[in-house]
Amino acid sequence: MRHLRTFFRVIIETGLGIKRSGWSNWLVVSILAIALTIFGGILQVTMTMKNVVAAFGSQLEVSAYLKDGYQPKRVAREISQIPEVQLVEIVTKDVAWDEMKSTFKVASLANPLPNTLHIRASSPEAVEAVAAKVKLLSAVENIRYPLNVARKINEFRHFIEIAGFAITAALSAATLTVIGNTIHLLIESRQREIEILSLMGVSPFYIKGPFVLQGAAYGAGSAAVAILVLVGVHIYLDPYLTDQLVSLAPFLPRNIEYGMWQTFGVMLGLGVLVGAGGSAWTSGKYIKI
Amino acid sequence: MIRLQNVTKDYGGRPALVNVNLHIALGEFAFLVGPSGAGKSTLMRLLYREETPTSGSVFVGGVNLNRLHKRQVPLLRRRLGTIFQDYKLLPRQTVFNNVAYILRALGVEEKEVAKRVQSALSVVSLEHKADAYPDELSGGEQQRVGIARAIVNGPPVLLADEPTGNLDPATSLEIVQLLERIAERGTTVFISTHDTNIVNTLRRRVIYLKGGEIVSDVDSGVYELEPNLNV
Repeated sequence: MRHLRTFFRVIIETGLGIKRSGWSNWLVVSILAIALTIFGGILQVTMTMKNVVAAFGSQLEVSAYLKDGYQPKRVAREISQIPEVQLVEIVTKDVAWDEMKSTFKVASLANPLPNTLHIRASSPEAVEAVAAKVKLLSAVENIRYPLNVARKINEFRHFIEIAGFAITAALSAATLTVIGNTIHLLIESRQREIEILSLMGVSPFYIKGPFVLQGAAYGAGSAAVAILVLVGVHIYLDPYLTDQLVSLAPFLPRNIEYGMWQTFGVMLGLGVLVGAGGSAWTSGKYIKI
Repeated sequence: MIRLQNVTKDYGGRPALVNVNLHIALGEFAFLVGPSGAGKSTLMRLLYREETPTSGSVFVGGVNLNRLHKRQVPLLRRRLGTIFQDYKLLPRQTVFNNVAYILRALGVEEKEVAKRVQSALSVVSLEHKADAYPDELSGGEQQRVGIARAIVNGPPVLLADEPTGNLDPATSLEIVQLLERIAERGTTVFISTHDTNIVNTLRRRVIYLKGGEIVSDVDSGVYELEPNLNV
């Protein structure tokens, strides 16, 4: 009970510290919120890409686009002889063109689409083998299959991850400096008080605790602001983004997982860690008990 | 209660205390006197572990302060009431809160805090100033708040480092008489001062420090500028 009361008093002291910090509270929270928004945004994009790649990986279909002058039925028969092929579906250029015209407004021009075969492999492991064999056929102009796209997305994701984390690290370092300076100023303004408390036998936990908690509060507050920004972005951009992704990759399932809760959890954790860590370091350096 | 054995303290070759031996018993009232620079404050700082000796041992309440871990220093200080020349009050806190601060930091229940603060303020006759801020008080009143804060946790030892240094003679005497009354309740009181008037009025044990050495230690003594050596 005694420890609980002490902890409660530390929280009250933290509140007083925040009140005394005035405008610098806003400065710290703004900078940290910007860093966390960027970090959260990057994390979400990369997590979404991972989920998209995973969804692609479970797709068994290979699309083959045929050269003009070849009979789709004959090519389909030939492909169905491949042992790993389970099913071949023909989409003639006329059917595809009609579908496109019914979905989008297109100018009246000659049909530019090729005859297409949708080939289903017998297992996910067989997709690569089927794609390789189909690509060798003289009738096939080009092929596209989810794993191929997934590989390209992964390369792009790695780039975003590296660039994004570098930016986040730089911003976190800047935030640590700002938090450190704010807490340092606060410690300087309370130096006499700290000296008195120390001489009275007040424990280091009670003296340093409020500064560390103040840093943690900055982190949590900044994470809350950054999360609100990302939630706003989701509300306005989600439907649009899903449509764009699906139009880019028709075989993509519509229920893409954006990994929102994981991202928010990581943002909150990082915010509190940077805030509390920065002020713990500063208190350790400048409060000598 | 307080014991120093062959204590020497020097700052980069400049000695502040030289081979000091001293014993102050439980409930005793003693003055530590001497001119400025004699080493009085250094000796006091050793007792509340603001400093450590270069050699020798310091014991307070049976605890060897040389062996005290840094983490245990707050525990020692809670068992000591310390009074300073510049009062060291928290300027943004009321008298009540200044006295209550340590109790709250220790997690004492608020009802008990109120009871103990009122009691400490009544010892120093400042119950009516509980809601005042330090800058609204006279020097003597501020020092009495300092004394109330020092005794609120019921320490067995009270250390006062030049407690009357900033006060006029009449108020100084008042403060020291207050400390004497506190000593009568069984608290060891050790006061460093260079105020001849209060020492000579009270006629208690006087330990004379000069150039970092104890040159005289007399019961019912007086503060003479050149004391007869009587250790």
